[in-house]
This record gives sequence, C-alpha cells and structure tokens, in this order.
Amino acid sequence: MTNAIPINIARFIGLLILQVMVMKPISWGWEGQVFINVIVYPLFIILLPLRTPMPAALLSAFAMGLLVDAAYNSWGVHAATSVLTAYLRPLPLKWMQPRDGYNVNHSPTKKRMGVQWFLIYASIVMAFHLFVLYNLDAFSLVFFKTILQKTLTSFPLSMFFIIIIMYIFNPED
Amino acid sequence: MRGLLQLFAAYGGFLLFLLLEAISITLIVQLNQRQGEIASNSYGLFTAYLDRTSDWVADYWGLKDEVVRLQSKNIKLMEQLDNARYSNAVFRDSIRQDSLQQLYTFIGANVISNSIVSTNNFLRLDKGGRQGVRPSMGVISDDGVVGIVRDTTSHFSQVMSILHSQSRINASIRGTGYFGTLTWDGKDPQFMQLNAIPRHAKFVVGDTIETNSYSHLFPTGIAIGVIKEIEEISGNNFFKVQVKLFNDMASVRYVYVVDNLLRKEIKDLEKAAND
Repeated sequence: MTNAIPINIARFIGLLILQVMVMKPISWGWEGQVFINVIVYPLFIILLPLRTPMPAALLSAFAMGLLVDAAYNSWGVHAATSVLTAYLRPLPLKWMQPRDGYNVNHSPTKKRMGVQWFLIYASIVMAFHLFVLYNLDAFSLVFFKTILQKTLTSFPLSMFFIIIIMYIFNPED
Repeated sequence: MRGLLQLFAAYGGFLLFLLLEAISITLIVQLNQRQGEIASNSYGLFTAYLDRTSDWVADYWGLKDEVVRLQSKNIKLMEQLDNARYSNAVFRDSIRQDSLQQLYTFIGANVISNSIVSTNNFLRLDKGGRQGVRPSMGVISDDGVVGIVRDTTSHFSQVMSILHSQSRINASIRGTGYFGTLTWDGKDPQFMQLNAIPRHAKFVVGDTIETNSYSHLFPTGIAIGVIKEIEEISGNNFFKVQVKLFNDMASVRYVYVVDNLLRKEIKDLEKAAND
C-alpha cells in the first residue's frame, strides 16, 4: 500500500502526457466548434484510491485540470470541472457500493471491481465530467444544444479510449 | 484559533473545494475572452434587473406619500370652490354686503373595506373621531358621492354606502332645479333610482344628476351620475329615473369626508322647528 503515492504520480504524468500529446492533436470539429474531443485525463480522478483524503483529491484534480488548461489554452475550464468531479466522486461510489462494502485500501479499478461495475462507474463520472466541461466552456445555457451535442459526441470516444487503456495496463490499484 | 482549526477539520474538504472552484471560475472569466464577455454581459443584465426592481419598490412606497400629498392639495382646492362656502351676500337698505365664509372642509381618508354585493352595503375608512370625522357627515370621492358616516371610533369610521336600501340622497337635475330622492333598488351597483321628479319637469336622457344644498351633507353641484332611462309609472304623478353613477363603487379607494362647519346651527334649527 505504500506505493499508492508513486503509482498515482506516475498515472498523473502518464495521463497528462497522453491527453496533451496524443488526444489534443486528434481532436476534430466543424463550424468552428470542436465536437470530437477525446478526454482521458479524468481517469486519474476515477482511479484515485478510495481512502484518498478529500483535500489531496481536490488539489491533485486541480493541478491536473490546470495543466490540461495550459495546453488547451482554456484557463480554468478543465480545472473547475476536475475539482467538481473530484468533489462529487464519492456520490457514484456510494450508489454503487457492493453489498459487503469497499476495501478502503483498494482503488476502484477494473481488476478489483469487475468489468461491468467499472464500466458503469466510469461512465457516470465521465458523462458528468464532459457535461460540466462543455457547460463551462460555453458559459451560458443559451448554447445548451451545442453543449449536449458535444457531450454526446465526445462521450463514446473518450470511454472507448479509457477502456482500451484499462485493458492495456489493467492496473490493480 | 482552535475553533477555526476544528472548523477546517470538519469542513476542510468543502472549503478547499469552494476555494479551488473560485480560483478556477476567476481564471475562466479573467483569462478567456469569450467567457469573460458572457460573464460581464450577464452581470450587466443582473444589475439592471436589480436597479429596476429597487426602482419599482421605491416607486411603490413613494406612492403612499404621493396620495396623501395629492389628497391635501385636492382638499385645499375643493375648499376654495364657491360651493364649499357660505355666502353672506344680503341686501339691506339697498347696500349690498357681500362676503364669503368657509362652509365645508374636507378630511382625506382611505377606504379599508368595502362591499357592493349585499342590499345593505357599508364601507370602512381609516380616519375617525380623532381626525374630526363625526356621524352623519357626507363622504365623496373624486367622481361622485360615496355615502354617509354612520359611526366612528377614534381611528376608524363606518360609512353607509349609497348602495344601501336605507340610503336617501337629495339630488337635482343639473340646470333645472328639479330635485328628488336618490335610492338604490339593490340590483345593479352601477345604477341608482331618482324618485319624486314631478311629471311636468322637462329633462332628457343624458342629463346630469348632481347634489343640492338641501341635505347640508354635500357641497352643491357635485356630479353623481347621468340619466339613462326615464320610466313613467301609470297612476303616479312622478317619474322614476334610472341614473348611471359616475363613480365605480366597486373600486373606490380614496375619499373625502365632508365637514359642514355650520352643522350645529342647522341641527339647532331643526330641533327648534320640531319642538
């Protein structure tokens, strides 16, 4: 359990590089709007160990969001979304609690919790994250149709890449 | 200090969350041109809305003072009219002495309750004995006659509406001098009936009905309503006239109580005549 911190630091750096170096160049859209936008960095928040103290989760999510913002030139948008996602992550975890509870030393990974459980959990967090993200990006409910379109186009692609990552690395914690 | 630490231990996550979100939103608004413009635009709309609301509230509260101010101004003007004065003009030894003396003064009041649905309707005013309102004073509004004061307490008064089966208002047809009694049949609150106009009187539909000086309750010449229909009742020497009221008794709000300054003298005279 002592290696939880190095693992998460490595995951932080790896996902940040993946997001900025690989996923940003392949984003694509039309009519001046980016509709195909693969977002994988929230996987870091998704996979944080269950016993992570809330301040640590919030600060690391904030740092991740801010660095992504720096690359995307969208100051604050990803940071605000990440902090909100990290703050509300306990909610889906509570809804999906197994009958005999969690082992707080574990992380909610595919290997620990099973494919189906992980898929539902990751989908909830990602859908929320993307929806909030595009809301803050548009910054007005006037553009609600565009917000919904972007969420619906980005969600399956992002989930697809997240599942691939989980199958390639299949981390235990 | 310890309390502060405890607070932070209990709500640290939430406070940090708020702090980080505040920083992020500030960044969004400050560093992104598009979001910043939307934010300042929304802020402008919001403050404009606030301004408008507070303006409306101030208007509303100012309105009450405005009503009182206008009432007092109206009273001043009404008291200067000739029909509110007693004329001392008299011929004696072919020298005409002429002077006017105040006969009527007015007390502004607000209607605080009213009814028009029953056959015996009353209004209640927010002025009473302390402001000089006495029983059997007349009550008028800007558009006509409202009723007669029945009872007063120190702060309130009960007014018998003209829409009351016992209401008897002395009224004349303007320009003719024929007079009759205005009563209400309890049916339509917009119409009253003028009785006891003799058959030989000449007048037409559309003539105005006004108060006369016989009752000593109202100044002379206050327009009450307009003749809508003239009925001849067979075997009766009088017309029955339907009068449409100028004032809407259903919506009357601001009224004036008429104070006859020579009321006591008239009462004494009546008493002397009856004895």
